[in-house]
Amino acid sequence: MITLGIKDQHTFLDEVNKKSGCNILECYQCGKCSGTCPVSMYMDITPRQVMQFIKLGMKDEVLVANTSWFCLTCAACSGRCPRQIDIPRVMETIRHIAIEENVSSKSKKVKDIRKFHDIFLDMVRRYGRGYELRLMAEFNIRTRNYFKDMLLAPPALLKGKIKLFPARMKTAKAIKRMFAMAKKLEEQPK
Amino acid sequence: MARVGVFVCFCGANIADFVDVNEVVEETKKIKDVKFAINYKYMCSDPGQGLIKQAIIENKLTSVVVAACSPRMHEKTFRRAISEAGLNPFLLEIANIREHSSWVHQKDKKSATAKSCDLVRMAVAKSIANEQLHEISVPVTKRALVIGGGIAGIQAALDIADAHIPVVLVEKSPSIGGRMAQLDETFPTLDCSQCILTPRMVDVATHPYIELIPYSEVIGLDGYVGNYKVQIKKKASYVNFSSCTGCGACSQKCPVKVPNEFNLGHDKRKAIYSPFPQAVPNKPVIDAEHCLMLTKGKCGICKKTCEKGSIDYDMKDEIIEREVGAVVVATGYELYDASPYEEYGVGRFKDVISSLEFERMVSASGPTNGTPIRPSDGEIPKNVVFIKCVGSRDEAKGIEYCSKICCMYTAKHAMLLHHKVHDSHAFIFYMDIRAAGKGYEEFVKRAQVETAATYLRGRVSKIYQKGKKLIVRGEDAQIGQIVEVEADLVVLATAVMAQKDNPDLARRLGISYDKYGFLSEAHPKLRPVETSKAGIFLAGCTQAPKDIPDTVSQASACAAKVCGLFASDTMKKDPMISHIVQENCTGCQNCIRVCPYTAIVTEEIPIAPRSTEMRTVAKVNEGVCQGCGSCVAVCRSFAATLSGFTDKQIINEILAI
Amino acid sequence: MKKLTYFPGCSAHGTSEEFDHTLKLVMKSLEVELDEIPDWNCCGATSAHVMTENLALALPLRNLILAEALHNDSMGIACASCYARHKVTKYELDKDPVLAKKINTTIDEGTYHGTVEVKSMLQFVYEEIGIEKIKSLVKKPLTGLKVACYYGCLLTRPKAITQFDSPEYPMSMDRIMEALGATAVPFDFKTECCGASFSISSSDVVLSLSGKILEYAKASGADMIVVACPLCQSNLDMRQPGVEKLFHVKLNLPVMYFTQLLALAFGYDQKDLMLGKHIVPVEEALAKIGKEPEKKEEIKSKKTVESEEAK
Repeated sequence: MITLGIKDQHTFLDEVNKKSGCNILECYQCGKCSGTCPVSMYMDITPRQVMQFIKLGMKDEVLVANTSWFCLTCAACSGRCPRQIDIPRVMETIRHIAIEENVSSKSKKVKDIRKFHDIFLDMVRRYGRGYELRLMAEFNIRTRNYFKDMLLAPPALLKGKIKLFPARMKTAKAIKRMFAMAKKLEEQPK
Repeated sequence: MARVGVFVCFCGANIADFVDVNEVVEETKKIKDVKFAINYKYMCSDPGQGLIKQAIIENKLTSVVVAACSPRMHEKTFRRAISEAGLNPFLLEIANIREHSSWVHQKDKKSATAKSCDLVRMAVAKSIANEQLHEISVPVTKRALVIGGGIAGIQAALDIADAHIPVVLVEKSPSIGGRMAQLDETFPTLDCSQCILTPRMVDVATHPYIELIPYSEVIGLDGYVGNYKVQIKKKASYVNFSSCTGCGACSQKCPVKVPNEFNLGHDKRKAIYSPFPQAVPNKPVIDAEHCLMLTKGKCGICKKTCEKGSIDYDMKDEIIEREVGAVVVATGYELYDASPYEEYGVGRFKDVISSLEFERMVSASGPTNGTPIRPSDGEIPKNVVFIKCVGSRDEAKGIEYCSKICCMYTAKHAMLLHHKVHDSHAFIFYMDIRAAGKGYEEFVKRAQVETAATYLRGRVSKIYQKGKKLIVRGEDAQIGQIVEVEADLVVLATAVMAQKDNPDLARRLGISYDKYGFLSEAHPKLRPVETSKAGIFLAGCTQAPKDIPDTVSQASACAAKVCGLFASDTMKKDPMISHIVQENCTGCQNCIRVCPYTAIVTEEIPIAPRSTEMRTVAKVNEGVCQGCGSCVAVCRSFAATLSGFTDKQIINEILAI
Repeated sequence: MKKLTYFPGCSAHGTSEEFDHTLKLVMKSLEVELDEIPDWNCCGATSAHVMTENLALALPLRNLILAEALHNDSMGIACASCYARHKVTKYELDKDPVLAKKINTTIDEGTYHGTVEVKSMLQFVYEEIGIEKIKSLVKKPLTGLKVACYYGCLLTRPKAITQFDSPEYPMSMDRIMEALGATAVPFDFKTECCGASFSISSSDVVLSLSGKILEYAKASGADMIVVACPLCQSNLDMRQPGVEKLFHVKLNLPVMYFTQLLALAFGYDQKDLMLGKHIVPVEEALAKIGKEPEKKEEIKSKKTVESEEAK
């Protein structure tokens, strides 16, 4: 049960509105987004429900839900939203707030997804370009799913779909520097 | 010698709380020409007015200033009061010390009071230069024009004609009847639409006071209230209506088949055709774009068949004129073209149709004799999905507003479907259910219970094909789950839109329209049937989406307005209008160019009193001029002047500050 | 000779080598010179924008700056995801010069001026080359081949940013295929998401989403699916055996790049198309070219991805 009218309800709404550039108050809960979303069936709360949760100030539930992490940024929802709300942008904002405030979901799925992204970015930082073999291997190790896609790897390697050795950039240092500077920008007060 | 009386109102607390009304009176008494100044609690009340009248008589006042609320409120009241005391009503000036002072400067009493004194001083100075003006009388042509022969136009025409006022009813299509003729049954009574409409149509055709001009359009309107001249284009029908008996033999023999607009393309009509069996007048017209004789010079079967010799291929469009005193615009609506909803497969899937197409299908006189079928294969649908708000309430693909009638007619469609196909199942996707009229909520409940329709709250996300079925996918927001309906037929409740040529018509008539193309009423709350132009009224969906009861009410309201306008032989008009001092006029015609009401015309006058040589000057048509002052602003020769706002009056005001 | 700045992207030398290779063959026939950006970097794909704000813009920005140095009007990008990242970055930074300056501080290679247009390869071929030119170069028409054109999410969405074709039912690839002589079947799932970046981190989602697309394409009567995105190709092709296994269905639906079919129609030999890279073999489908249309196969099994998933 939720009790309203006892604390400030709109702080989270204002934060999401400001950071995303959207106005969630315009959502009239038609549900077209949820029906459109290809992965809404995997979500704890559907995109439409997320909007209502935000309006009700239920920040914790929104940050902990797997919804924003399952969002594929396919932009099918915003293309159909009759109130023209940029829903992928709202999902992105929720993810960034969750990272900033160090909120993690209990769901293993979400943990796996976040691990994947961390590994991917680490790969880019090191090599400046993709290195799928390492990406897949490190992911399997870190998620303790050692034999995942085991049967895929040999034919993929043989066909040259994934390479044994990483592609190299001449100025890979520029990328390392970029990462460091970008991190500094994140740490600056907004 | 000017003797001005000033009357300052407390207006209860509205003015007195924020302006020192005593100080205003004291300061005003210091003005040279003010011979009497007083304040009072409620100047507009009977005792207040009595005060003014008494003061005028006792002090032989030559003009009056009332310092109170906006002239929009009580200018009329005070004008009447002073005229009862023997003063010309236009020797009144109002200093608005409420809206212009007390209401907007509530935090600074000192400054508000000083400003009020300034406003009074300006009004006093102006009033000294006020001239005696007299209301103008314009003659009235007691005939009304009704544009549009749907239920709105029909109702307005009948009401006006019943008051023994002649009516000219112009209709664009070959028959009157409009949208109501296309409906099967109407909510909430489920009356047969044609059955309740056709008697009215016959009344129109037989009414001694109605001149019905079908298959015609209004192409121009000149003049002013009580004195309009309308130009009507009678489109060539190629059929002589006076000799034609409406036997229909010509249509039977015609070899050309064309998609039938009345049935939205679901069946065919002939090139010579009458739109529907109960058409009024029941005379066919020839569609010039498709007739073989008119396009290629071949065929000619209809002429050979006609026993009365009514076919005339040489007929031309004809322009006729009528003089009328008032106009009722009742041109109706069209439906939203749902092509932007690509996710619904509009245009790609034959079995995704609009609500009006469904309505035609369930009508006994429709393309399928009243049986709903799937356009793709002709089979009878069992699962029918109705989607509301297609185009409505949709800023992205359609229009922002709600179309008002779709919730009700969708419930009706569920009922009709249930009556026609007993083992059918209706699925209705909705955002809200708006049933605000009399008997409406009860009707929706009836639909829900009698048809066992499944109401699903959520906008449909996508429709895709699976074999012969259409899969309709959306979220049911009530249970928070995605649902997919295997549908045989999908009916879209498309938005009610203004006719595409409404802006054109509005320009021809000289009235305004809104961003959606709906014609604008003078005030949304208190003047819903009048327009910005005196003598032109609006009825029905041309003004905004509405159902039949509201349309009929609005039409009757227009009729009442027209009858009121025609109650006397002449009409009184506000004299604060423009005049041209012709001695000063150089004939540059700038005023004519800027006048938004086309109220100024040219006139030839002799260059000198007894000369035969003529020159061109401007002349204001008193009946049309609305006193906007645009001509005064552009006139370089001080020829144009506005009564009630002459240069002298305004300069006096400015100098008084 | 038209010049087009070219951003290959990480998959060009790996998972989508056949796309890159046949693209180059096609460009040769179209007389377009590809000017590859020297020492380009990974655009960050999905992970960068999901996890970061500034880095997500910085990675593509570096490539945009390097592209400007080549002084061509437009930059063509083969991978739909890389295209989306660069296009969004350009859109955001053109709108907000203060933000552009801020992100620029992370990059040494130069200053951003916004002078290069960003286009997907599909857009470039459809808009700048055009159907008539393509028709004129066809030497071996693909008559008899029925294709389902799959666009995925990022080539035409979001509409305000891509400003190309329809976000719901695009037809550019369909028209190109028809110009080559193939038949593009009506395909309602052409813009449904394949599961994209969940390929590794959430493979079951990809199997479900891609499975539905494959099944629908097959039901629409297609011999193969044609794509313009390496991730879509990977999900639909590499994961197809997984789909077949999990949902007990038989699909056998090859997935080819539109550039491979362009190259084939322009006269290149099958062995030039790197057909060996495909997991689901393409030869059977290609054999249909130039043959009489077959009678429709009876669908023996009632099992579908959805019915299996519901279990």
